[in-house]
Amino acid sequence: MIAQEKKPIEEILGYLEGKKKVVVMGCGGCATFYHTGDTKAVNAMAETLTKEGKDVFKMPLPFSIQACDIEKSGVWLEKNRKELENRDAVLVLSCGDGVQVVTEYMDEKMEITKAVIPGNDALGLVGGGPKKFKETCQSCGMCELGKTAGICPLTSCGKGLMNGPCGGVREGDKCEIDEEKDCAWVKIYKRMEKLGEVAKFEQMLDPHEWSKMKRPRLFEIEEPIGMDVIGAMKGMMTVKFGPKPKLDE
Amino acid sequence: MGDEIYSDLMRDLKSGNYVFTGELEPEKAGDVNEPIEMARELKGMVVACNVTDNPQSFAYVNSMAASYLIQKETGMECVYQLRCSDRNRMALLSDVLGAGALGLKNVLALAGDHVSLGDTPDAKPVFDLDSTTLIKLIRTMVEEGKDLGGNEIHNPPKLHVGGAAAPGAAHLKAEVGKVKRKINVGVEYLQTQVVYYTDVLDRFFDELGKVDVPILVGIFPARTFGQADFFDKYVAGVDVPPDYLEAMRKTKAIKDKEKKKEEVDRVNIEFFTGFLEHLKGTPAAGCHMMAVGYPRIIPPLKKLME
Repeated sequence: MIAQEKKPIEEILGYLEGKKKVVVMGCGGCATFYHTGDTKAVNAMAETLTKEGKDVFKMPLPFSIQACDIEKSGVWLEKNRKELENRDAVLVLSCGDGVQVVTEYMDEKMEITKAVIPGNDALGLVGGGPKKFKETCQSCGMCELGKTAGICPLTSCGKGLMNGPCGGVREGDKCEIDEEKDCAWVKIYKRMEKLGEVAKFEQMLDPHEWSKMKRPRLFEIEEPIGMDVIGAMKGMMTVKFGPKPKLDE
Repeated sequence: MGDEIYSDLMRDLKSGNYVFTGELEPEKAGDVNEPIEMARELKGMVVACNVTDNPQSFAYVNSMAASYLIQKETGMECVYQLRCSDRNRMALLSDVLGAGALGLKNVLALAGDHVSLGDTPDAKPVFDLDSTTLIKLIRTMVEEGKDLGGNEIHNPPKLHVGGAAAPGAAHLKAEVGKVKRKINVGVEYLQTQVVYYTDVLDRFFDELGKVDVPILVGIFPARTFGQADFFDKYVAGVDVPPDYLEAMRKTKAIKDKEKKKEEVDRVNIEFFTGFLEHLKGTPAAGCHMMAVGYPRIIPPLKKLME
């Protein structure tokens, strides 16, 4: 999942300066999980912006409909075309991916160019839970875990070093940069000890191949899933909600 | 390891002479006048001086430029410190080529402190290489005339590469494992982080075992209480003994400048007498005196080693 937190309202109000009519769009994916873009967050943001004198139209997405999954979230955008056309800005309560996918879809598919504003700061791929989460993978495109006892030093070491701990390991095997965090290389050493592989620890690992991370990375799959669901969604919405859907339901 | 000797430092290390090196710190300034002055004072006391590269991630005068100017103006041989924190592998390679072209003969390859610890905390940390792969890069450039991608280098640089070790690291086995990576890729000498405790040093040498690479032990006789306190509080992997800190703290109260200097020197000589006596019995090849801005302490400390 992509961890995220809400941006300070002052920053958002700065982006919305001079923009009176605002759409607040939610996200039913990661942003719902982290309470940064669920229906409650959309309502709270709408209430705040209304108090600030904005004219707000709410557009939450149901659970599991992610803003970044544009074939699905696009259904909601299409159904609200008129609102989008008449608004000054769209505030998207998702990660930056969701914000940009919505921007591109509106620009290119809907031919509606509006200011699209981020409501959240994305903090990276994380795992764990239910309350505490940790970033352990940076999707670099060239997984090194097979060489490092299953712990990624590029992500878990504060410096991303590939060849052992830096000289600053603190008492309790904590990181030089942040004593709340464990030194990844000490953890790798301890796992190698348990695995009987500690001799490997003295061998240099080659520099990481960053060529696999040429940005922006493009990706294609042959068999997209959920396309049948989109058809059903489009049909369902026409029948159920009519011309002006109540997307809160 | 190749047999060519390019620097006085390496000549002394290979000859088995006990080696003393010093340290110069370029600052946030548009000149290197102060380190040049210090280098003049240190001339004859040490075989070479390290020239720091953005120490503790404070952005200062470029270490290569400073090393070149100090060497040119004073004849003091420099150990050009080079950190991975601020440069990717291309920049590191071109800097090493530049250093060779400028006549620098020693590089100390360091990972470097994280940028968040210094005065430019919003900088993007690089760490494309680490200290081990930087050592590998430099050795490959010098010995094979190639870069890490196998591309040929015309007229390869002629310089030596050292690496760091941290005897006071919280997890010594992992630290020594990393040091062995450096040895395995051909590091030509090691310099330790500052050590104040003899038992810390002994544990490090015991854990490391016998190695063929000469090791310089880092010591830091502080010129002021503030310097010692900074090391204790902010330099990771270094513990300053409370008794020494307290003795240095007391020197703050001395108003007369000359008397204060004398007392600071006395405290340092008293503390380091035992330490240096102990050092004679270790496998250390020499002593790196990180006495920044404090050249007058070096002769009496050297005398203790005779």
